Amino acid sequence: MDDLLLEAVKLGEKLGVEFVELRCEESLRTSITTKDGGVEVVREGFEKGVNVRVLARGAWGVVSTSKTDRQSVFRAVEDAYRLALALSQKVKEKVKLAEVKQVKDKVTLKPKKDPRNIPIEQKIGDILGVDKTVFSLNPQTKSCTIDYLDVFQKEFYVNSEGANVEQNKIYVWFRVYATATEADVFASAGEEFGSTSGYDVFDENPPEKVGVEIARRLGEQLKAKTPKGGVFPAVLGSNVVGVFVHEAFGHLAEADLTLSGSVVLDKLGKKIASDVVTIFDDGTVEGAFGSFMYDDEGVKTQKTLLVKDGFIVGLMHNRETAKKFNSQPTGNARAENFRYTPIIRMRNTYLEPRDHRFEELLEPIKFGYYLKTFRGGQANLDGTFHVGVQEAYEIVKGEVGEPVRNMSISGNTLETLMKVEAVGKDFRLWPGRCGKGQLAFVCDGGPSIRVGEVRVGGRG
Amino acid sequence: MEICEKAVKLASGFGVDEVEVYFSRSMAVRVEVERNQIVKADRFCDEGFGVRVIYNRSIGFSYTNHTNLKSLEETVSRAVKVAKAGKPDKDRKGFPAPSKLPEVKNTYDKRVAETSLEDAVEITSRMLNSALNFDKRVLAFEGLTVAGESLKILVNSNGVSYTDKGTGIGCLLSTLAKDKGETTPTCFEFEHERTYKINPEKVGVEAAKQAILSLNAKTLETGFYEVIFSPHALESLLYYTLVNALKADNVQRGKSKLKGRLGEKIASENLTIVDDGLLDGGLNTWRFDDEGTVSKKTVLVEKGILKGFLYDKYTADKDFVESTGNAQRTTIPPYSSTPHIEPTNFTILPGKNTLEKMFEETVKGIYVLHLQGAHSSNPESGEFSVVATPAWMVEKGGLAYPLKGVMLTGVIYDVLENVVEVADNPRKVGFLVAPPVKVAKVRVVGK
Repeated sequence: MDDLLLEAVKLGEKLGVEFVELRCEESLRTSITTKDGGVEVVREGFEKGVNVRVLARGAWGVVSTSKTDRQSVFRAVEDAYRLALALSQKVKEKVKLAEVKQVKDKVTLKPKKDPRNIPIEQKIGDILGVDKTVFSLNPQTKSCTIDYLDVFQKEFYVNSEGANVEQNKIYVWFRVYATATEADVFASAGEEFGSTSGYDVFDENPPEKVGVEIARRLGEQLKAKTPKGGVFPAVLGSNVVGVFVHEAFGHLAEADLTLSGSVVLDKLGKKIASDVVTIFDDGTVEGAFGSFMYDDEGVKTQKTLLVKDGFIVGLMHNRETAKKFNSQPTGNARAENFRYTPIIRMRNTYLEPRDHRFEELLEPIKFGYYLKTFRGGQANLDGTFHVGVQEAYEIVKGEVGEPVRNMSISGNTLETLMKVEAVGKDFRLWPGRCGKGQLAFVCDGGPSIRVGEVRVGGRG
Repeated sequence: MEICEKAVKLASGFGVDEVEVYFSRSMAVRVEVERNQIVKADRFCDEGFGVRVIYNRSIGFSYTNHTNLKSLEETVSRAVKVAKAGKPDKDRKGFPAPSKLPEVKNTYDKRVAETSLEDAVEITSRMLNSALNFDKRVLAFEGLTVAGESLKILVNSNGVSYTDKGTGIGCLLSTLAKDKGETTPTCFEFEHERTYKINPEKVGVEAAKQAILSLNAKTLETGFYEVIFSPHALESLLYYTLVNALKADNVQRGKSKLKGRLGEKIASENLTIVDDGLLDGGLNTWRFDDEGTVSKKTVLVEKGILKGFLYDKYTADKDFVESTGNAQRTTIPPYSSTPHIEPTNFTILPGKNTLEKMFEETVKGIYVLHLQGAHSSNPESGEFSVVATPAWMVEKGGLAYPLKGVMLTGVIYDVLENVVEVADNPRKVGFLVAPPVKVAKVRVVGK
């Protein structure tokens, strides 16, 4: 494969491109869906393809194809070049790429448990172990859906500046979503698990332990009341902090979105959060769901500091935005698969822990909410965010009180970051999948924090 | 078609009970806008097979994007292997039997299929320039034009052997406006059609106008208001609440509040909803669904009365009814996954009044263009709590001023009961075909 890709690069150079890169991928994916103790379907798929990206006269031309023979790959290079030329007449500001150290490397994996060697029957057994625990511990359980996926992927990256990277990747992921009803109350609980180190994800999260946690959350919600709407002080748990850091702040600091007018554009180098806020996007956490060695532009991953003690000091870049900001690429260019061109994506994004105990976070709050687990989050470039919450509690006189359901919080990201009063030490990362036109595997997280006020949507 | 039939024969040789081979091919050209300029063009052709087999009432699936006979053989044997690893399901009856394919209109246009890169660049430029010429404060931060065609072939061992092709063309522009240190929320407008009848200038102007009209937003007192939902807002709100509750799978599994309520009043009599798989020029109109049931029109809610649910073959067999043809493969690419229940063209029948007339008759109301966070709704209970942005205060017969920091909270079933009026101008937004809808007494959390 390697030789063919290098020849294709030469062809591009002969045509007169400014830059050409080829990404070739081969992947084997196994996925399983179970519902209420039964196996709905087991899937196993194989795919292979090439993505060719050409920069010519300041414009991008891209062609993707599943045909990886010599003739098809060469034709893809020519077509991509033609697309770029045709577009170049319209380009006002030409695309330029920041310089990077071009790498030649071959990354091989040594997974503790390669998912390809685990029999499907064992995977089904582990998944159904979760299902069985949920149903047996909570008799009000109505449904339990579990989706499991493992991917083994082989990737080649070459470009006309000399990069030549071969890397293998392993992803193992599963998600549990269960519902329960009692009288007229509907409760649901869900969580995702993921790893890039192998099938040991089930060692770290044994099926029974996962089931116990889901059953517990369902039980709490069935007892829960609806919240009061309005503005309240709150303690956000690690899981909610993660989604807030990712959705509300992280996207604003993806340099393509920053350039597109996100509210942090005018604030670079300035104070945007309280002193206790430090945020990283880190591709180097071993085994974490958002970790990898090289991004899809062949740039080595790194631990990128975004906010230091309240000051925004960095953004997440690809080569194009790094050039625009006169900065360095940070290894954040990722593509879902060969069908897509890489765009700026997060990796493992988290708030750095500090030294408060959880009780100290609660203590000064007379009445407020403790938001423990999220249901979904979304943000807008203008800095408004929204986070749905699946598990929440009242805080009364500094202590966790009764459970609350169907809750969500919203507000302005920067105002909220300024209102972070105290940061705890109970750090954790949470695997997830992020959509930005393409899917990316990520983690987000942090410790619990106390926020002076957030807007709570409720029906009280 | 021949290779699909060959694969069906091949799989039958493995001793499986039933087999289905699905083939899809999508070809498209796409031009993208980033920050006020056209920067990227791409072209792709994506084809592959998805094979489902039933062995002892257990389903196995495999796919590949390598469309030669050898990969197909490997794919079939993978599907058989994983089916044997699965567990039997006593409710699993089998794949659909053949039936007469219905005719559909305006789903294929040669001109769309033949859209060149130059055409796509031209459409994109017209859209972009209309937006930028509208007002200097507008930033068109992203946009795209895409045009292409798809082919679907479905063959199964019960004798189904169907093929259909369709086209689609669309352009979209996302904007925001910046003025005196204020940034508006992101706005967007698009048109998406099966035939060559998009108006890029209109998309550009509308996208720009929305952003400009969102400047100088004010906050709002918490309380109950009349809310006029745009089709875009309805699309996100309804999907995560009502649509999920109408899927037979969720009904059967006790995940829907509509379970056991057929024939009962669940909405205002102003509301009639049909899922119309045969809609003329519908974005989701095909002659058959993604497991080989012929497309049809299904009444879901008639003048507020619950009349039906959305079924695929499996859930229909469980309830001893006919599938409504709602099995879809929604992944990109479609051949890479198994079908599940989704609406086709989920249509809210229009009313008599224009949107302008609706504004005139609104005393204290809010017009909501887009919602944020609808995916965090509770699909089982129908409870939602979402941000309305952009949104405007409606006073004196028109949009008075933009609003910020507005959350809408409630339960979808209360919203359905409180529909006071449906406007007369439906449009296609994803799975939804609907006009703006006015709802009384929506709880709004403001400052």
